[in-house]
Amino acid sequence: MIDTVAPTDSTRAQAAAERPAIAIHNLVVQYGDRRAVDGLSFTVPAGAIFGFLGLNGAGKTTTIKTLLGFRAPAAGSAQVLGYDIVRDSQAIRARVGYVSETNSLYDQLTIPQIIAFCRATSRRWNGAIVDRYIRTFGLPPRARVGQLSKGMKSQLALSLALGGEPDLLILDEPTNGLDPLARHEVLNTLVREIAAEGKTLFFSSHILTEVEAIADWVAIIRDGRLVVCDELDHLKQTQRVLKLTYDQVPAPAEIAALQALPAVARVEQEGRGVRIVARGDVDALAQQLQGRPGGVRHVDAVNLNLEDLFLEYMKDSSEGQQ
Amino acid sequence: MPIWLTIDKDSGVPIYLQIVDQVKHALEVGILQPGDQLPTVRQLGIDLTLAPNTIVKAYNELQDLGLIKSRPGAGTVVTANLNGALRAGQIAALFDRLHTLVRDAAGLGIDPAELTARWEADIQQCYGQQRSAAERAREEHGGGE
Repeated sequence: MIDTVAPTDSTRAQAAAERPAIAIHNLVVQYGDRRAVDGLSFTVPAGAIFGFLGLNGAGKTTTIKTLLGFRAPAAGSAQVLGYDIVRDSQAIRARVGYVSETNSLYDQLTIPQIIAFCRATSRRWNGAIVDRYIRTFGLPPRARVGQLSKGMKSQLALSLALGGEPDLLILDEPTNGLDPLARHEVLNTLVREIAAEGKTLFFSSHILTEVEAIADWVAIIRDGRLVVCDELDHLKQTQRVLKLTYDQVPAPAEIAALQALPAVARVEQEGRGVRIVARGDVDALAQQLQGRPGGVRHVDAVNLNLEDLFLEYMKDSSEGQQ
Repeated sequence: MPIWLTIDKDSGVPIYLQIVDQVKHALEVGILQPGDQLPTVRQLGIDLTLAPNTIVKAYNELQDLGLIKSRPGAGTVVTANLNGALRAGQIAALFDRLHTLVRDAAGLGIDPAELTARWEADIQQCYGQQRSAAERAREEHGGGE
C-alpha cells in the first residue's frame, strides 16, 4: 500500500474523489473492561468539513487517537487516507495533520526551535504558511512555548500542523480556550487552508455553534456508539418539530394514532397542544396533519438548529436506555 | 462578499437553502441581474467561514433552476431573471403567509371589519405609491425627450 510512484496532482485529486478520507468499520477500543468505543462505524467523505460531536466522555478523543495509531483497537478496522490504522499507522501519521486537545508541545523550546523540529520530522514543509499564521494569530515569534497561554498554544499547534500541508487535518477540540475573535480566526484559517483547497477537515467539538458555523457533515456519538452521521443541511431538512393545536384536548387514542404515523419519531402532549418530532418527509407529514379530521386547528413547522437536533438525539438515547 | 447575502448559521434553516433563497430574492428585487458575477465557491466559503461543499450545493441548485451558470475559469454568472414558474412559487408562498396572518388574526379575535379596513389602507398605500412612482418616471422620461 506504499506509493511506489509519486502521484501527480490530478491522480491525487481523482483518488481523493473516489476514496473517503476516513472509513471506520465496527471499531471497538477498550480501557480494561470498559468499552470506550463500542462498535463504531462511519465514513468521512474526502473534502468534507466534518464535525465529530458528543458529550464529554463519549469516546471522541479515544476514536481520534485510535485512528492515528496511538491506541490499538480490540476489534473492527479503519482506514485513514486509504491506509490501515494498525498496519500503516506510520504512513498515516506522516500524512495527516493532527492537533491534540492537550497540545503536548515541548515547553522549553522557543517557537523557532519547535518550527525547526517540525520541519525536520515532516514529509513536506511549507515554512511560509507557518510564518503567515504565526503573524495572523499574533503569536510572539521568539517566545518560549511554556510562556504561551493555552489559546496561543493551540494556535501554534495549528500553524505547525498546517506547515506539513496535510491532505487531512484532524483536530481534537481545536478552539478550546480561545476567545471569540481568536476562535473566528482559527475557523476561518481552517476553511481557507484546508476546505477551500479541497482537503479534508475532521474535528471534534462540544461547542455546537462552531460546528454549525463551518461543518457540512456531522456525526454524533454517545457511549462509544454512533447516534447519527449525515450531511448537516440534510439533517436540518429531514428533522423538524411540528406543533399542532387542537380545538379540544385530544384523546389518548388520537395521540397513539399520531405516534403510529410514518415519519413521527416522538409525540408530546400538553393540553390542546401537541409537539411532534418528525424525521423524514416532514412536509408530507405536515400536509397530512393539516387535513386530518379530529379537530386539528393548525399545524406549525419549527426548524431545528444543531443544538436542538443534538438535544433531541440525546433524549432518544436516554429513552432507549430506560 | 455580496452585501445582500446574510446567513443565519444557527436558525435551523439549511444554509444552502438560505443562499438559494437570497439569490432568488436578489433577482426578484433586481439587485442581481443577468450578466452579474457571483463570488467563487472558494471565496464565498472563506468570506462566510463555511464549508465550500455547502456553497457548491447552493450553486448547483441555482444552476438546476436555470438562474446561474458556472464555467471553469469564467466563474459563476447570473443568466436569467426569475422565470414564471419561480414567480408562481413565490406568489403561492406569499398567499400562504397571508393565510397564516388571517388565521392568527382570527385566533386573536380581531374584528373582521377592522382587518378589512387595515388591509384596504395598506393596499391604498403600497399600490398607490407604486403607481405614483411609475407616473413620475414617465413624466421625467417624457420631459427629457
